[in-house]
Amino acid sequence: MREFIEHLKTGKFRVPKCMSCGRNAWPPSHCCPYCLSKTSLKKIETTGILLEFTSSHCKGKEGIFGLVEMSGIKLVGSFHTTHLKEGMKVRMKECGIGPDGTAFYFFTPTMA
Amino acid sequence: MRRVAISSWATSKFAKDSRMPLLELACEPCAEILKNSVPRKEIDAVLFSSCATDQYSSTIISEMLGMHPKVSHRIDNLCNSGTNAVASAFAMIASGLCDSALVLGAEKADSPGNKLLWDITRGSFIFPVHWAAIFAKAHMRKYGTTEEQMAKVSVKNHKNAAKNPQALFKKEVTLSEVMNSKKIAEPIKLLDCSASCDGASAVLLVSEEKAKNLDNPVWINGIGQQTNSASFANATNDLTTIEAAKRAARYAFEMSQTKPSKIDVAELHDAFTILEILAYEDLGFAEKGGGGKFVDQQEIAINPRGGIIGCGHPVGTTGVAQVTEVASQLAGKAGKRQVKGCKTGLVQNLAAAGSSATVIIMGA
Ligand SMILES: [Zn+2]
Repeated sequence: MREFIEHLKTGKFRVPKCMSCGRNAWPPSHCCPYCLSKTSLKKIETTGILLEFTSSHCKGKEGIFGLVEMSGIKLVGSFHTTHLKEGMKVRMKECGIGPDGTAFYFFTPTMA
Repeated sequence: MRRVAISSWATSKFAKDSRMPLLELACEPCAEILKNSVPRKEIDAVLFSSCATDQYSSTIISEMLGMHPKVSHRIDNLCNSGTNAVASAFAMIASGLCDSALVLGAEKADSPGNKLLWDITRGSFIFPVHWAAIFAKAHMRKYGTTEEQMAKVSVKNHKNAAKNPQALFKKEVTLSEVMNSKKIAEPIKLLDCSASCDGASAVLLVSEEKAKNLDNPVWINGIGQQTNSASFANATNDLTTIEAAKRAARYAFEMSQTKPSKIDVAELHDAFTILEILAYEDLGFAEKGGGGKFVDQQEIAINPRGGIIGCGHPVGTTGVAQVTEVASQLAGKAGKRQVKGCKTGLVQNLAAAGSSATVIIMGA
């Protein structure tokens, strides 16, 4: 979805929300997958739960990553720290499009 | 619905670089089948499975092979393409639309199917090994599955591949070699992973009527397919299960009126060792959580051709190649790797983080 990417490029995480049933369309789409109505980008709560995490040693893709669930959507986030635990609360700190053209979503543990 | 049989099949030698362009590669196993089977004019459909985006490729191949089928088109569904193409051919024959269909798969090592740039839910971690590592981590945490159990899958499949002249890897590996191989995405190491390669495979499916002339046809008794999502985020709610595979298996077992305990031989999607362990559970061979221990079982011959780990993974070819292996086994034509006395076989295949899956049950 072009608008989602345009916002992401400027560091803003905006998710298409259905104008009829109010649910989030994820992966981003113009069309609500629940009721097929139109969606429009909205700011959402970006504090969520870390479901699972591990580390990558792939060339150019080194780092800690994990699956995060927030506001009813799931996505793979990046982390700067290894002090993580499954089930912990994390919040999105930064997002954007990297030099290689892929999206990134940096998360950090919330202060409990 | 008419019954559908597999009458002949062939798989080319998988290679890192075959030095053949895609369409030439695709013709190789087809020529082998067509020289020894029904006249080409009797084949009603040519279905080409590939993630390569070459225009009009199925029709070009049909022309190259001197064929004028009623139906000819390409099927692309990432790693699941080949099994989806077999399912489509099955449906065309079962419905009476066609009496015979040639399904071929071909892929080059640099296929666009290897990288998944469209899945924005994966963030920067776009390689298949990344989602596989999350599944592995979750299974280890919940059920105590070990890195050693995963490594055993690789040892077994490399051992099987050593007996398969078409396989990319023909060298056995030891447990310590797997355990000490380079870390890719923890807990997954280099020898837990499959490799992309060049490869082609083809099968000819025929109606019950046409199968009457065959000595010992192999029957397709059930097919189940399930598409849960395209993205990793929405593929499964439980990170220790490939939900699409579980559902596809249920459909296939229902359709074939058989059950997991009746399966003698199976080709399972093992692009990463953890996936074979998940498949044991999702297909009902092992109880939930027991997949790690199931690696040591001897009841069912699993991935006798060497699986994806041993044979290599030419994405759009894999599903077709899996079907050719189970057909060879059921027909008693698997040579050095023949599994004794097998009557019922199964193929399970996945695409993109297990977001879609196919299960095919075959019988002698
Ligand atoms: Zn809606």
